[in-house]
Amino acid sequence: MSIACEFEYVRPASLKDALRLLARPPEGGAMPLAGGSDLIAWLRDGAVQPGLVVDIKQLPELRGIRVSGGGLWMGAAVPFSELMESPAVQKHAPVLVEAAGVLASVGIRNRATPAGNICSAVPCCDSGPVLLVYEAEIHVATLRGTKVIPAANWFLAPRRTALPPGGLVTGIRIPVARHAGAFAKLKRYRGEDLAQASVAVRVDAKGAWRVAFGSVAPTPIRGRKTEKILAGHKQPEGAVLEQAATAAEAEVAPITDIRSSEHYRRLMVGVMLRRSILLASARLVGKGAAYGINIIEEDAP
Amino acid sequence: MSRTHIVGHSAIRVDGLAKVTGAAQYVDDLEFGPGLLHAAVVESPHAHAEILKIDTRAAEKAPGVVRVVTGADFPYTFGLYMSDRYIFAMDRVRFVGEQIAAVIAETPEEALRAAKLVKVAYRPLPPVLSLAEALKKDAVLLHPKLGEYQRVPWFYPKAGTNIAHWRKTRKGDPAEGFKQADYILEDTYTVPRYAHCPIEPHATTAFFDMSGRLTLWASSQSPFAQRDVMAIALKPFGLTHRDIRVVTPYVGGGFGGKAGVSMEIIAAVLAIAMKGRPVRLHWTREQEFRNTSQRQGVIARIKMGVRKTGEITALEHTLHWDAGASAEYGANVVNAVGLSATGPYRIPHVKIDSVCVYTNMPPCGAYRGFGYSEFHFGLESHLNRIAKAIGMDPVELRRRNAIREGDTLAYGAAMNPGNLLGAMDAVAGEIQWGRKKKSKKSHKVIGKGMACFWKAPALPPNASSSAYLKFNEDGSMNLSVSGMEIGQGFLTVMAQVAAEVLTVPVAKIRVETPDTDRNAYEWQTVGSHVTWGCGNAVRAAAEDVKKKLIATAARGTKRKAADLYLQDECVKSRKDASFSLPFRDYVISGIMQPDGRFIGGPIHGTGMFMPEFTTTQGDPETSQGGHPNVHYTVGCAGVIVEFDKETGKMDILKVALAVDAGKAINPQLVRGQIVGGIVQGLATALYEDIRYAPDGRLLNPNFTDYKIPTALDCPAEIVPIILETPQPDGPFGARGIGEHTMIASAPMMANAIEDALGVRLKTMPLTAEKIALALKGIDYEEVKGDSLGFCFRGRPCDYPFEVGGGIS
Repeated sequence: MSIACEFEYVRPASLKDALRLLARPPEGGAMPLAGGSDLIAWLRDGAVQPGLVVDIKQLPELRGIRVSGGGLWMGAAVPFSELMESPAVQKHAPVLVEAAGVLASVGIRNRATPAGNICSAVPCCDSGPVLLVYEAEIHVATLRGTKVIPAANWFLAPRRTALPPGGLVTGIRIPVARHAGAFAKLKRYRGEDLAQASVAVRVDAKGAWRVAFGSVAPTPIRGRKTEKILAGHKQPEGAVLEQAATAAEAEVAPITDIRSSEHYRRLMVGVMLRRSILLASARLVGKGAAYGINIIEEDAP
Repeated sequence: MSRTHIVGHSAIRVDGLAKVTGAAQYVDDLEFGPGLLHAAVVESPHAHAEILKIDTRAAEKAPGVVRVVTGADFPYTFGLYMSDRYIFAMDRVRFVGEQIAAVIAETPEEALRAAKLVKVAYRPLPPVLSLAEALKKDAVLLHPKLGEYQRVPWFYPKAGTNIAHWRKTRKGDPAEGFKQADYILEDTYTVPRYAHCPIEPHATTAFFDMSGRLTLWASSQSPFAQRDVMAIALKPFGLTHRDIRVVTPYVGGGFGGKAGVSMEIIAAVLAIAMKGRPVRLHWTREQEFRNTSQRQGVIARIKMGVRKTGEITALEHTLHWDAGASAEYGANVVNAVGLSATGPYRIPHVKIDSVCVYTNMPPCGAYRGFGYSEFHFGLESHLNRIAKAIGMDPVELRRRNAIREGDTLAYGAAMNPGNLLGAMDAVAGEIQWGRKKKSKKSHKVIGKGMACFWKAPALPPNASSSAYLKFNEDGSMNLSVSGMEIGQGFLTVMAQVAAEVLTVPVAKIRVETPDTDRNAYEWQTVGSHVTWGCGNAVRAAAEDVKKKLIATAARGTKRKAADLYLQDECVKSRKDASFSLPFRDYVISGIMQPDGRFIGGPIHGTGMFMPEFTTTQGDPETSQGGHPNVHYTVGCAGVIVEFDKETGKMDILKVALAVDAGKAINPQLVRGQIVGGIVQGLATALYEDIRYAPDGRLLNPNFTDYKIPTALDCPAEIVPIILETPQPDGPFGARGIGEHTMIASAPMMANAIEDALGVRLKTMPLTAEKIALALKGIDYEEVKGDSLGFCFRGRPCDYPFEVGGGIS
């Protein structure tokens, strides 16, 4: 594999240095490199031709996982594998662990990061629906200071985010609260695949539901109408479940492409939502399969 | 057949140690030193366009560039069966990705950068991206010079059309046959294009030395065929066969994609352009998809008549193949199917039309199964539907029509031995055919499916094999053959054949990959024929060695040759139990005589094989009179699948496949081929799917969107079943089984889907999406969007199967 485009590579020692480099990019622009699982493929395809690549994966400010002040903090350079193995993430963001388990392959997960995933911001990004249902905060640094952007305001369009020019995501914070949830991902086969459609759900002890979808709109989206139908139902079933599925099918806006037809995506959003809700409500009362399954391919007991 | 000691036992692979230790070398592992040059190819962005001008000046001035080569430098065509492929596009491009020029530079990056600087001016032509368009009257022609191309005598291209070949087979009187039928079913089935996806993409490094010697190190299934094709195409440079050498180290998968010649000839001419320096051309994964060869897409119309009692009375099978921009290899796939599209059944009245059509899609060629997977999908689906309509068990329907030894084939020759009924019984037993299985989950349902298969190698009548065997001082041996070890275990099987004849342990026989200068001749490693053809050559070579071993021992020890035999690496005597002469004592140095002289010398042997009974000279209008196929291998496969009724997702609980190998020379390797064939077959059946944009661009030349199976996608259980009805002209009775193991996958799955869900899918692949939508009453064909998997638009049932302009 050859990368034909020429660029400078710099590995700054501090966040400040990194931001300085990104703020004054050379001709062709500057791009940050964390896991590189998207960037290297784009470079190789010639889809991007930056003049400078800033390697941020060693920056101390972007490392670490900690729980403080009612929030779970995950540094932007922490790869999925590390998050999956962290007891703090398993406890406070189990839906992220479940989604990470069906994201790409072990080799990719060892490098790729959720922060990178949401910066690439393709409609099928698996982190998107999860961070939406967690109402996560995206922490961004620029030379002018830091900024917190709610996940709900992050995704603007396919491959476009609220990240200011020259900015870097430093970490993602998820508020800590008792909850249960589930992530379902539709794939073309059992091996690694981009989602044909995905669903994330989260429910708290009062029966407040949050629902989000991936690959069925230009960006990952919240399912507010679906959530309203479910509100207050700790164990939705029967008519409520059906109404929720119908609402979900109505509020997504999928397209037809080579990965799936619009019809199948819509149909599966309903199926995945029903299964995710049943699994999450079982988990809420200490039943249901442990986190880390894909209910589209494995049966939730 | 007498008892065998080595044949029929699972010898350890002779290439195993080299592969597990990483010692096995592939083309990219070879070192060529600092003089090595790197090439990048300039590719067409258009499916069909006239080339007005190629401006290479900027590229030539780019840093590191040593030479830019275009079609003006090498204005030649090539091809294995028909010379319709261009080394570089000349006056026009015929598919997106076709090579127009190549840049040779000091580094790969410099070559890639400079390739972008080559400016090509095009005048776009209307692309022919549908079969109906290609076949209509006054169609845009892809190959106006079709009538001038060199070709083999059994191809019938129609000059002035887009038809590269049309194989017609006629037997009996189909009109009469349909009159005798109590039930007739007619329907259309489609199979899209597929890609081989070997782990190792095509790679060639070529070197034209100062003495005019051209050497290629290629990842190939066909070193000798490549040498031959290149010697013909490159004749204008004064190159003859003795000037060209093809070395093929280990190959990381081929599946037919590395048969014949594709990109290797580009590397060869670049080396010629850069005399004295080696040039490396290695394809990227994208190029592997779009500019080697793909499996042809096909649309097939089947009309079959049966009596109430199940006997098939007549078959009309019409297949229109999307061959892409070149049919130099693909037309022979079309030919093979045109002869064999009855499937393994006795059918008195047959009409087959197999038509090879040029389109502005990438060229197609050989792919494991060589057309048989494609036509079995429709045929074996059709049989189940007919069985259902006449109220007969689908296996019983097949039993009543199963072909047997001596039956007359569609082209008039007689069927070889093979136990199709036994294969059906074995598979039916293994999957408990006829017994319904219930899922424990309310949203799931279990179904079963079966399908039979057959396949013959598609070889020229003079495709031949040869082998050399020689002894070393310690009684170990070198075996020289030129079949390719492409994972199937060929080298091991050849060692076993020699070992059986000579009583030498397999571990003492070294077998290496080919070098056309030094190794024995082999036509190509294709068609599942090398165990049979090359095995016969090896056996002949071993018999030659055996004769010399005995003759030398007889002469050197003053014994009668007739009394001597081989056992445990020694010559022994039936008359004198005390006599035992170890091979190592004399196979190089001879046998010392009382007076100090020596008798004998280095012992070696040679063997060759050609199927001398084969001929392609049948009547072009009926195919009667020839004997184009050497033999068929038959078998059957069955599956138990659990379906999720909401998502269409499938869990394959069990697959059983029985194949009549004649004789499994290495049963473990045969089982390996069965498992591999099933996994590959299921992937093409269930999710592999090439997609094109309406302008002819390939949309998924990558594993992001073209899915091949992972370990997670393998069935829970695979039961390989080996039957052994000896092939009289095979080595120890063996016949080929390699490709056959994937042929039944798609119809078997389609039949299981109908069994479980009552839905009949007639377009491959049989995705979860199609199933889930069908269960909701939605036809996937109506909602799939504008990307193309196969070369026709609209619904398959509306395809007219017309050939315009009265061509016949």
